[in-house]
Amino acid sequence: MTDHSRAAGESRGTPYAPHTPEATAAMLSAVGADSEDELFDVPESVAFDGELGIEARSERAARRHVEGLLSRNDDLTEFLGRGHYDHYVPAVVDDLASRSEFLTSYTQYQPEIAQGFLQALFEYQSMLVELTGLDVANCSMYDAATALGEAATLSQRVRSVSGDRVLVPERLREGKRAVLENYADGPGVQVETYPTDDANADVEGLEAALDDDVAMVYAENPTVRGTIEERLGEIGDLADDYDALFCLGIDPVALALLEEPASVGADVVVGEADTLGVPAAYGTGHGLFVTREEYLRQVPGRLVGAAADDSGRRAYTLTLQTREQHIRRERATSNICTNQAWLALRTAIHAAWLGPDGLLDLAESCVTEARDLAERFDAVDGVRAPVHDRHHFREFVARTDRPAEAVRADLAEAGYAVHAVGEHEVQVCVTETAADDADGLVAAFEEVA
Amino acid sequence: MSFDVPDDCRYLESHEWVRLEDGAARIGVSDFAQDELGDVVFVELPAAGDELSRDEDFGVVESIKAVSDVYAPISGTVTAVNEALENEPELLNEDPYGEGWLVEVEPADEDELDELLSPEAYRDQIE
Repeated sequence: MTDHSRAAGESRGTPYAPHTPEATAAMLSAVGADSEDELFDVPESVAFDGELGIEARSERAARRHVEGLLSRNDDLTEFLGRGHYDHYVPAVVDDLASRSEFLTSYTQYQPEIAQGFLQALFEYQSMLVELTGLDVANCSMYDAATALGEAATLSQRVRSVSGDRVLVPERLREGKRAVLENYADGPGVQVETYPTDDANADVEGLEAALDDDVAMVYAENPTVRGTIEERLGEIGDLADDYDALFCLGIDPVALALLEEPASVGADVVVGEADTLGVPAAYGTGHGLFVTREEYLRQVPGRLVGAAADDSGRRAYTLTLQTREQHIRRERATSNICTNQAWLALRTAIHAAWLGPDGLLDLAESCVTEARDLAERFDAVDGVRAPVHDRHHFREFVARTDRPAEAVRADLAEAGYAVHAVGEHEVQVCVTETAADDADGLVAAFEEVA
Repeated sequence: MSFDVPDDCRYLESHEWVRLEDGAARIGVSDFAQDELGDVVFVELPAAGDELSRDEDFGVVESIKAVSDVYAPISGTVTAVNEALENEPELLNEDPYGEGWLVEVEPADEDELDELLSPEAYRDQIE
C-alpha cells in the first residue's frame, strides 16, 4: 500500500487510472491533505512493505507460459456430477452473450442505458418464477451454497420461532455445508442434520429432529447422490406444522420434470442455475433464489422490476433497492449487493432456446441416460448399481467389490473420471454431453471393477 | 414553508411525535419529517405486545428516496399498530398526526414525556 520510495506528490496508479501529478495535487489540496499518505493514513502495522513478485513478460511469452501450464491438465472424459453438471450449451448462447452490448465490464443496471440487459434479467427471473410456481426470483447469487446461506439468514428474520436451528440433510456436499456454516456464524444460526434413508430424507427422522426452535428445514431434489425425493409434500407439511421455513434445493433442468416447489409447500427455492448456459468448469457457479411474495422485502441480492417510463412504455429497472447494502448499510437484508448478471443472461438464453418442451426433453434424458448406464454397470460382475432403490436424475452410486478408490484411479488411468464416494462406492453422472462416451466408460469399468 | 406542529404533542429531535390520550401514547413522525422523506412507500412496524425502549429504533419508514429508522420517544408496551399503513403507506404523508400514526403504546413511565421537546422547542429546531 504505502510505497516509501515514491517522491512526495508523485502519483500512484497505473496508465489505466490517469491521475496526473497535477490532478492529484489539485484533489489533495481540495480536501486539505498534504500527501496521499496523509490522506489514506494506513497504519505501519498493516502496511505492505515488500515486492508483489509479479514478473513482467511479453504477451507472447505469457501466452506460451500459460499454455504450458494448461497442457499439464489431465485430459479425462468426465462422468463427475455431484453439483457440477455439463449440459450442451448451444452456439447461440456464446454468440448472443458475446455481443458487445452484453459482454462488458460495465455493470449494466442503469435503466437509461441498459434496457436490453435489464429485460434479459427480468426474463431470467420470470422463467424461474414459472418453473418454481413461486412469486419472486432475484437475478442471481454467487452460487447455490450462497443462496442456501441467504435462505438460512432469511429464515431468522421472518420466522419468530423460539430458537435458531436450521436442519439440513446429513448427506450434504461439504462445500455447501461450509458456506452455510460461515453464514450461520454471525447471526448465531445452529446448523444441524437430520438422517437420510436410502439417500433420501428420512421423514420420520426429520420429524423427531423438529421442534419449536427450528427456523428452517432444507431438502434437495435431486439429492447429492442423484436420487429423486418422493416425500417432499410431507416435508413441506412438517415444516409448516412447526412454523419453520421450507427451503428446497433444485436446479432449472430438474425443475422442468420434478414436482413444482410451490406445490410441495416450499417457501424458498435455491440452487445452481449454471446447469443451463454455462459449461461445467472448475469454480463456476450461478445461484438461483426464488421465494414467496410475502418475503419480497427480505429477498437478498438484486431484483429487476418492470415499470413504465414517462411516456407510459414498459421499462425495466432495479427495484426495492432499499433492502440493499448501499442504501441500508448494516441493516440491509444481505451483504450481497451484486449478482452474476452475465451468467444469468446465458442461462436465460439457453432456457429460451430450449423452450418448455426442449427443457422437459433434456430433463427426461437425465432420467433415462442415468437409468440405462446404471443397468449396464449392474451387469458387471461384483457390481451393484444403483445402490439406492430410488429413481435417479443424472447420477447414481454403484457398489464395487474392489475398493472404490482403486476403481476410481484405474478408471482415470483409462481416461475416465468418476467420484469415489465411499469405501466401496463410486458415483457416476451422465448427461447428454458424456452419453456418447458411455460405451467406452462401461468397457473400461468392466476391466477394472 | 411552515410545517404543522400540533400543540398537543411532544417531540424528539429525530422528528417523532407522541400524544397522550386517556393513558395511551400514540406515536408517529412529524409533518416536517414526512416532507423530508418524500413519498412513503413502505412502513415496517413492531407487533402488538413488543416492548419499546426510549430512544431506540422500533420501526422503519421507507420512501422513494430514503430509508429511515423510527425512534421511540418513550418506553412502553405496544398495544396497537396502524394496520392501514400496510396498504396505504401514503397516509403518513397525507395525515402524519392523524390517519398516519404508527403505533400506540402503554407508557412505562409517563414522566418521560416531560423530558421531550415542547412544540415551541421543536418549532425552533426545524425552522
